[in-house]
Amino acid sequence: MRSIAGRVSPGTGSSSSLRPRPPVALYLHVPFCRSLCPYCDFVAVAGSAARGPSSRIAAFLDALVVELGLRADALDARFGPPGPGRQALESVYFGGGTPSLLPAETIAGLLALVDERFGLAFGAEVTLEANPGRDERGDPRALRKAGVTRLSFGAQSLRPAELRLLGRRHRSADVADAVAAAQAAGIGSVNLDLLYDLPGQSFADWIETLEAALALRPDHLSLYALTLDDPDAEGLTGPAGDHLPVASGARAWRERARPRQDDDRAAGQYHYAASVLARDGWHGYEISNWARPGHESRHNLAYWERRPYEAVGPGAHAFDGTVRRWNAARLDGYLAALLPAGGGAPALPPGGQEQLDPAMAAAEELILGLRTDRGVRREALLALPAGSSIFGWALAGELVELVQLGEDARVRLTSRGRLLSNELFSRLV
Amino acid sequence: MSREDQMIPQARLRNFSIIAHIDHGKSTLADRLLELTHTIEARQMTSQVLDSMDLEREKGITIKARAVRLEYTARDGLTYGLNLIDTPGHVDFSYEVSRSLQACEGALLVVDAAQGIEAQTLANVHLALREGLTIIPVINKIDLPSAQPEVVMEELENVLAIPREEVILASAKEGTGVPEILEAIVERIPPPKGDPDAPLQGLIFDSHYDSYKGVVVYVRLAQGRLRQHDTIRLMASGVESELLELGVFRPQLVPVKELVAGEVGYVATGLKSVRDAQVGDTLTNAKAPAAAPLPGYQPAKSLVFAGIYPLSGEDYPLLRDALEKLHLNDASFTYEPESSIALGFGFRCGFLGLLHMEIVQERLEREFGLELILSAPSVSYHVVLTHGRGVVEVDNPALFPAVNEIEEIREPWVRVSVVTPTQYIGALMELSTNRRGTFLDMEYLDPQRVLLRFEMPLAELIVDYYDQLKSRSQGYASMDYEEAGYRPASLVKLDILVAGEPVDALSLIVHRDRAAATGRALVARLKELIPRQLFEVPVQAAIGSNVVARETVRAMRKNVLAKCYGGDITRKRKLLEKQKEGKQRMKRVGSVEIPQEAFLAMLSMDE
Ligand SMILES: Nc1nc2c(ncn2[C@@H]2O[C@H](COP(=O)(O)OP(=O)(O)OP(=O)(O)O)[C@@H](O)[C@H]2O)c(=O)[nH]1
Ligand code: SF4
Ligand SMILES: [Mg+2]
Repeated sequence: MRSIAGRVSPGTGSSSSLRPRPPVALYLHVPFCRSLCPYCDFVAVAGSAARGPSSRIAAFLDALVVELGLRADALDARFGPPGPGRQALESVYFGGGTPSLLPAETIAGLLALVDERFGLAFGAEVTLEANPGRDERGDPRALRKAGVTRLSFGAQSLRPAELRLLGRRHRSADVADAVAAAQAAGIGSVNLDLLYDLPGQSFADWIETLEAALALRPDHLSLYALTLDDPDAEGLTGPAGDHLPVASGARAWRERARPRQDDDRAAGQYHYAASVLARDGWHGYEISNWARPGHESRHNLAYWERRPYEAVGPGAHAFDGTVRRWNAARLDGYLAALLPAGGGAPALPPGGQEQLDPAMAAAEELILGLRTDRGVRREALLALPAGSSIFGWALAGELVELVQLGEDARVRLTSRGRLLSNELFSRLV
Repeated sequence: MSREDQMIPQARLRNFSIIAHIDHGKSTLADRLLELTHTIEARQMTSQVLDSMDLEREKGITIKARAVRLEYTARDGLTYGLNLIDTPGHVDFSYEVSRSLQACEGALLVVDAAQGIEAQTLANVHLALREGLTIIPVINKIDLPSAQPEVVMEELENVLAIPREEVILASAKEGTGVPEILEAIVERIPPPKGDPDAPLQGLIFDSHYDSYKGVVVYVRLAQGRLRQHDTIRLMASGVESELLELGVFRPQLVPVKELVAGEVGYVATGLKSVRDAQVGDTLTNAKAPAAAPLPGYQPAKSLVFAGIYPLSGEDYPLLRDALEKLHLNDASFTYEPESSIALGFGFRCGFLGLLHMEIVQERLEREFGLELILSAPSVSYHVVLTHGRGVVEVDNPALFPAVNEIEEIREPWVRVSVVTPTQYIGALMELSTNRRGTFLDMEYLDPQRVLLRFEMPLAELIVDYYDQLKSRSQGYASMDYEEAGYRPASLVKLDILVAGEPVDALSLIVHRDRAAATGRALVARLKELIPRQLFEVPVQAAIGSNVVARETVRAMRKNVLAKCYGGDITRKRKLLEKQKEGKQRMKRVGSVEIPQEAFLAMLSMDE
């Protein structure tokens, strides 16, 4: 640990204390999709691994159950068994991939196991990511019965041409059907993921998608700028990496798409959406997330508030308050470790981890806090060496209008600051 | 270590350089010579083993001349001591070649069997002839399917009057002809002269700094001898010291007990101050000093000048120290303190050419761990002041006198020799005349190839003329140049303003007729090179108070990690750290962050 420890006093909030704590949330990664979208950076596999006679889904579920058991054992050893003395899970999140490909009974079974081994709090949020296509969205009634309280649909766009361009399977009408069915089934919160800054997407195109989405009366919206990364170049796709290598077709698609994106247009699209949503009473509680009041995602808030979370499945990331840990992305290695051939003892899957030092923890807390509308306490920012210079820069007019100080002595990003937040954050790391 | 080579009499010493056009195979031939003489065991051999600097290996070219001592038992049964110097082929380093030649009695002239005579072949042969050296012509790469040794022999005969009987056909790659080369060295090159019993005179031709042994100088003994524990004196600085060690290059430093007249070796002086032992100085024995020093070297003439600045101002003392130490190892650049409003405190440096500039920058960064910014390169102008107040030399556009102080400006010209296949003559004529060049004459080397001669302002040459030459001739043309004096010119200073403030490190001197066009091209290029900032940044070019071009770097609107879920915080932090590093590599000028490439924008403008 670096000697900086003595110098930094990053606030007194319990969230930044460097003590391992039991998780308040659990993430389960289900890596199967009907087909792969060329822009996708998630750990996802399709084709014969995801369906038909050589499908790996059954093996994956067996392995997932084994991993849940091993992770639970480890938590029991550190914090004692679930019960009154230990924090129960406030959120469970099935992410993907396309977890809605799993039958509702499977979800129910997994949730029962999670409750038994981790303890699920009464009224916990249970989110499932779903694709809107007919053959992939699952049965919302059965899911609700299984315990799912929140459905998050990967709509991405409501314009047919854009859906085609993105290589999505569903049509815009499917989105409407999926949302209506979820609402009819009594799913408590329905989210739509939408993408802006699509290649060649005009301002009017974006307004069209946004308005069509609002007309469906979702409870939550995640609006993301399409980000075309290169995880290979970032060095994330090795055997122990948390990303899968980019297929050559996807790489070519990204290379063609990138020149047709435009930061200025994207900024306009973002600001437009932010002001429409604010006018309509939405709560923009994080840079890319809006909720009707009361529908904020508790799971994502746990990430941003740096509360501890457990995670299982290929490429999943966990945090215990001091260490960030991840599983490798590759399914083969995952299955081989957890379901050893010849019936040997299962082992935790390959992966990596990173121990945070106090300076990193403090920077993270500020960065994640500033992403939300709660902002950060002024003192916490000042405690970081770079934090005090931020005030200097802001005063000197260089970080013009990126942050503002509220009457509650908390610092928040302005709406301009949200879109330029990396300019600020890269000075904090 | 008992070493027979100390017994080798002067009559059996041979000193030679290997000279050629770039990439014709000098270093590869040196490899074979080292191998055949068992100087390096085959298993320790790498290709171009003498190119030991990282930069040389990366670029695949020789940057610094390297001396090696070989021992060769010839067919006459006697053992000879051979001092080989491998030289660089790039035009920027012809100064290095000429210094190497001064330490030799002979030269291996290597010519690529597929390429034939090129511009530096001619230039280097002329240098060798001027020194009166014996030339051994070698046609190399005869293993190539495209080799045309007959044609090349013809060229050598016609252009350089080298009789074909003297030519050795070789493949440095496969080793063909190399034994014949060794025999020719022994038979044709005369031994060094110089009385071993006269007072010691050793010419320092190179040096480096070693933290244990202090300044280590490389010397060639013109006369006298040097033994362990001698007390030496450096004649120019007058400093004396008892030498710590002497030895030869094999190619690593190997100590010996004695060096005699005609030999090449090193001396660890123990001196700590790099200023006390300069290249070109003469080493003598303090007890029995020589009456006069050797003539030394003509100082290298810098042709290109640029300011070198530390990215962060606190590193200024480190930069000064690094320049001093590097200068020991490369005496051919010059440096003196200067300051810039935009860049702070730094040094004005003179270089032999743009490649040399790039190499000095990279060596400073790598060998001394510095982060540097270079200002826009310039040539050196002679400015005649009004009212008979004389002439000043100005190599920094920022320091140009005011217009009303200037009577006349003179700029350096060069004579350019271009060797090219005939089909590109038209394209290269056009290129050169577009650069204010004038055509002098043309000479046929053979029916397909010509030597063209132009004169043009040096300032026009340093701006990517070489790249253009290569691209317009599909890589076939080669060039060399030499100074051709100063001539009056109609020049003006072009100021560049960023965010309304003039940035002195970006100023340029340009031809009046093309000032506006250059200003537009430069400003357009800067717009591409200066990243968007949090606010709008106007970039203008102005002559005096007259703005001739303007572009705007628009304000940054978006720099955000849209998605921050899935718990993958580690990756986000790494991306932010990368952005931070990117920013730290830029220079803040006022409130604008400007990357290095922008200061060199003039080198990459559209024609
Ligand atoms: N086929 C063939 N290739 C050769 C031969 N000699 C050298 N080469 C190749 O030619 C290239 C240049 O060789 P070098 O030895 O680095 O040339 P150089 O003259 O030292 O180059 P500079 O120091 O940069 O001027 C390398 O790729 C060598 O492998 C040869 O006899 N035959
Ligand atoms: S459906 Fe989602 S997870 Fe699957 S490939 Fe497409 S973007 Fe990726
Ligand atoms: Mg070489």
